[in-house]
Amino acid sequence: MSNVTLSVKNLRKKIGKKEIIKGISFELREGEVFGFLGPNGAGKTTTIRMLVGLIKPTSGSIQICGYDVKKEFTRAMRYLGCIVENPELYPFLSGWDNLLHFARMLPGVGDAKMNEVIRLVGLQERIHDKVKTYSLGMRQRLGIAQALLNSPKVLVLDEPTNGLDPAGIREMRQFIRQLAEQQGLSVLVSSHLLSEIQLLCDRVAIVAGGEVIRVGSVSSLLDNQEKAVWRLDPHNKGMQILSRYTEPAEAGEGLIITEYAEEKAAAWNRELVENGVSVLEMNRKLPVLEDLFLELTGGRTID
Amino acid sequence: MNRKSVVSFTVFSALLTLILIFSLSWALYDYYRAAPQPIKASDTETAVQTRENEAMTIIALGDSLTRGTGDETGRGYVGIVSEQLKRDSDKQVIIHNIGINGQRSAQLKEQVKKQEIQRQIGMADAVLITIGGNDLFQGGQTLMNIDPKEIEKAQNIYSANIQSIFETVRSINSEAAIYLIGLYNPFIELEDSELTTRAVTEWNQRSAELSSEFPRTIFVPTFDLFQLNVNDYLFSDKFHPNRDGYKMIADRVAALLSRQEGVK
Amino acid sequence: MINLVQNEIMKLLAKKRLLVIAVIVAILVGLFTYAQMKSVETQREKLGTSDWRASLQQQIIDTQNRLGSSRLSDEWREQLQISMKQQQYYLDNNINPSEPGAPTFVRMFIENSSDLFIPLLVLVIASDMVSSEHALGSVKLLLTRPVKRGKILLSKYIALILAVSAIVAMTALISYFLSGLIFGYKGLNAPILTGFTVENGNLDTSEVRLVSQWKFLLMDLGLVWFVAMVVATLSFMVSVLVRSTAAGMGIMLAALVSGAVLANMVSSWTSAKYLFMINLKLTGYLNGIAPPIEGMTLLSSISVLLAWWAAALFVAFFAFIRKDVF
Repeated sequence: MSNVTLSVKNLRKKIGKKEIIKGISFELREGEVFGFLGPNGAGKTTTIRMLVGLIKPTSGSIQICGYDVKKEFTRAMRYLGCIVENPELYPFLSGWDNLLHFARMLPGVGDAKMNEVIRLVGLQERIHDKVKTYSLGMRQRLGIAQALLNSPKVLVLDEPTNGLDPAGIREMRQFIRQLAEQQGLSVLVSSHLLSEIQLLCDRVAIVAGGEVIRVGSVSSLLDNQEKAVWRLDPHNKGMQILSRYTEPAEAGEGLIITEYAEEKAAAWNRELVENGVSVLEMNRKLPVLEDLFLELTGGRTID
Repeated sequence: MNRKSVVSFTVFSALLTLILIFSLSWALYDYYRAAPQPIKASDTETAVQTRENEAMTIIALGDSLTRGTGDETGRGYVGIVSEQLKRDSDKQVIIHNIGINGQRSAQLKEQVKKQEIQRQIGMADAVLITIGGNDLFQGGQTLMNIDPKEIEKAQNIYSANIQSIFETVRSINSEAAIYLIGLYNPFIELEDSELTTRAVTEWNQRSAELSSEFPRTIFVPTFDLFQLNVNDYLFSDKFHPNRDGYKMIADRVAALLSRQEGVK
Repeated sequence: MINLVQNEIMKLLAKKRLLVIAVIVAILVGLFTYAQMKSVETQREKLGTSDWRASLQQQIIDTQNRLGSSRLSDEWREQLQISMKQQQYYLDNNINPSEPGAPTFVRMFIENSSDLFIPLLVLVIASDMVSSEHALGSVKLLLTRPVKRGKILLSKYIALILAVSAIVAMTALISYFLSGLIFGYKGLNAPILTGFTVENGNLDTSEVRLVSQWKFLLMDLGLVWFVAMVVATLSFMVSVLVRSTAAGMGIMLAALVSGAVLANMVSSWTSAKYLFMINLKLTGYLNGIAPPIEGMTLLSSISVLLAWWAAALFVAFFAFIRKDVF
């Protein structure tokens, strides 16, 4: 098992009388991309801000490479790079001056390192232009460059693809994978989009109502949740046949929903056809986040 | 952003900060610690006592009449005189109006002893004075209770003061013509006008006599100007002249002044 | 630390706020210079002479006549009497209180702008020092670097001190050079009287002494800088506490303007002397102008301002270090 770079234990935050984070624990390992999945308002942003030291937890501990964020703030921050929400850099400064600004706050980061990260994010040509002339994608890249200046061990990205166009999203995804695989970074990515997490992450924590509901590998958590949607003729007979193997459910408009697994689907299909039921349509359906939550929380509403 | 400009701004303003902190502590030190120094005459430049020959310099001393109280245009007789002189003569006219509302002869006596006033008198070609009205009428009190003894007393004090004022002015400036403007009787159309008129005429008599004892000192009567239809020439307070009243006084004074100028 | 300060200076310069301030000062100085020129002209026309003694004498006489009016408030009457006595003192000692020339103009300008104009200029910089980071969102990057929050705020505060010094010096230099174009540059060595004290509404001249104008000017600037620093620190604190720059500016503006208004009417509310905005006219003490409240002295004003300064600084750092950034 590779090293733990970020460990969060029993993290809580109370604001007034309301406890908004109710004891979150998870760990990040070297070289993995960890997803932080939850609907808006689940406590993702608050948790992330506690990780990076912007909000002080009421109780619990956060350690980055063994250093406690609360007690050894500067030590811990040396190993952390982050973009919280949008990369809000200074629009009135050039990209270079922005990097210079943050480089000055780090020990031993000089022009060489700055040039390196600029090359890494591919901003060489526009680096001396004012940031206000940048597109959102470029700002995002500059944000990442800024986060990489201190050669962090842990990279925290809050909704990194927010507001990017599809090409930008794909580019960003590749870039993050590359960082994790080639440079051994631990990347924490938060998102409210299931598909994104699925494509990007190795492991995922699902958060709702200030709690981690489930932590696990993406495949184990999400693949099981995949469904198949059938349209059969005749409907009732098809339903009958499927009931022998699984628990089909009516989904209205003559559709039937069952669980999905590759080998089973093929078998059931054969069975249906052999029994004279024509399969008019069969689709794999990724669960939407809401369904997943309903599944995981047993019908508890997300708030 | 130029790194140099950042550094130079930082250094420069750090320097400024030090200077300003020093100035601050100096100010505190100076305010609380520095010993008072008597001001030596050599520290200050001496007043130039030369008369401006090209210009006609007039100093107007006295009370609210000099100030122009009651004239809605705010000029008073002094203002009108200066306008007329400026219009009729090609000389520059400099007027110092030192009149103070409610001033009495005793206060004027003190005022002419002040250094700067004396300097201005010294430079003057003519000195205009209106004084005595407040001594006599005491803001209307005399009118309520006309007591010949009180008036007599006031008159004696006034005479002594005016004597001293004339002496002071003459001692500084022997050349300038002094014009003492006489009193009129603002109450001439009220009851007891006989008494008030007698008081005013006697008062003017004394002023005229005193004036005649000094060279180039002219008593300018105004009693006659306000003898008929006085209310047409008085301000709504029924005491000070209005614009027309001031105009009459100014016409008389201006005529005398232009004669004086012509003679020179 | 030097790196952090350089960061703040870099941002400050990039925002071009100082440039805007310089332009504002230049425009205002231009206006004042023109107004001053006009007033000198009319004075000369009215008196027919440019002799300062005559015009000072005239001012004294005018004041005397105003004092005769019964419609004056007691405080105003007292103020007038004190300034009249002072003018008389200048006259008696044959010293021109407003020697023509740029130095005198600078002195007047600085003294008149010390309690409102310069604090306003300082406000432009100070009030968004911290809150702009919130507005931009860059605070999230700033506070997730391996630098303690206290250090970050300190670097901002040092940059603010430098900026305040620059503003004060800039105001003096701009007004010197611009007004000098009209009035000439002489008069740096002209004598100025200082040491007047006001006690029980009377002008005490026993401590009066002569100071060269340039020395007086420096002392004025020192006091104005102190006032500007206090206002800057207070708006710095507000900038930490209030996330919106506009709201922060509004708060400070209200305080400053209320101070200017209050100063004219608080003479009977003596505990108002503990309000910072009543104590901003420090230069008045050097000139022997009656303070707004009986019993205020240079030392008491400075102490009150220092107390506000220290409190503001403490609150600013305490809040900034403790605050959660949402």
